[in-house]
Amino acid sequence: MIRVVGAKGYRETVVADVIAEAEISRATFYEHFDGKHDCFLAAYEMLAGQVFDEVAAQCDWGAPWVSRMTAGLTTIVDRLAVDPALARTVVVEVVAAGADARQLHRNATARFTEYLDAGRELAGDRELPENISLMSAGAVSGLIFDELLAGRADRLPDRLPDLLFAMLVPYLGPQAAAAEMRRVAAAGH
Amino acid sequence: MPRGRQEERWRLPRGRHGLPPEVVSRSQRERLLAATMRIVAAKGYAATRVTDLTEEAGISRTTFYELFADKEACFLAAYDNAVDGLVRRISAAYEAERRWPDRIRAGLATLLEALAEDPAQARLGLVDVAAAGPAAQRRFRAAVQRLMPFFDEGRDFAPGGRNLPANASRMAAGAVVGLISDELVAGRAEELPSLLSDLLFATLIGYLGPDAAAREVGEEASKQLRT
Repeated sequence: MIRVVGAKGYRETVVADVIAEAEISRATFYEHFDGKHDCFLAAYEMLAGQVFDEVAAQCDWGAPWVSRMTAGLTTIVDRLAVDPALARTVVVEVVAAGADARQLHRNATARFTEYLDAGRELAGDRELPENISLMSAGAVSGLIFDELLAGRADRLPDRLPDLLFAMLVPYLGPQAAAAEMRRVAAAGH
Repeated sequence: MPRGRQEERWRLPRGRHGLPPEVVSRSQRERLLAATMRIVAAKGYAATRVTDLTEEAGISRTTFYELFADKEACFLAAYDNAVDGLVRRISAAYEAERRWPDRIRAGLATLLEALAEDPAQARLGLVDVAAAGPAAQRRFRAAVQRLMPFFDEGRDFAPGGRNLPANASRMAAGAVVGLISDELVAGRAEELPSLLSDLLFATLIGYLGPDAAAREVGEEASKQLRT
């Protein structure tokens, strides 16, 4: 499902493509799913869960917030870069797959933004807007969306410093975010 | 969806009116583009048929196919047209102010008001557009990028702004669209104007840093209290 949607787009995908790619019978497909939409939702949930688990597994909870976020973003970007079909599915096509897919996407995004929100502490006694993490995530996913539409999934790791800046700047401001961006660029990822 | 009175006003008189053909054609095109945004917003892109569009616009099928090759071409033109109108409104509000942070505040306020005025079209423009295929997805990202020049001026205003990453404005535009889309998906289009302070802070901080961004937002809040 993910490979087909990643290649053809959600709208153009039909169940026949999916069963051909998965080498299963139509009967088997319908034992598991009501149809294309149902199968897509399950595939998306599985993928989002996998990426989230990978990020969580690599997270060093003792490390400072900025390092944790950098490591997490690196994991996500590397994962998307090696699997352009997955990247298109979770970033672009999920928005095309109807209201309940978008709700799943929102829930998945919220799991990541919870991690981001630990960065509020760095703002000291200043109150950051409640929804700052959504704006941080929006800036990151916008950049990724543009790269994917341009067919440059494999180049995403080169954009890591930019993505990092986008993610950190709402919390830290430009100086501190740029310093982190230069540090990661110098480390050569 | 009933036709608005406004549309009736720019509908041409029926029968012989002696108007030049290019005027007739332009009026039909504009009517069709507006009708397309309304219908696709209400029915969804996949469920919309060319017949729905010609009926809503009050034009013939022949006229439709003189203007556009198919539904997709018509939708893309309608989308671009709607984005043009929105960007013009934002520009006018932005240009009316002098200091860059005030300009951004005015532009964001106009964007939020415009989207809140028509929740169905706002959802279509920022969220459901992705369901209309790869060409529409590219038009959506191009629309987001049209917000970038407004933010780019922040490089001149902010101390050290010249040293910001090349993509700073793309990120600011992405942050704005990210939060607005989330509100739209949650069905809270009418409440968009209440996000102004948050969006202002989150975009200004990227250029001015946390202290100055908080000051600008604080001034905005006290301005609102005064009015």
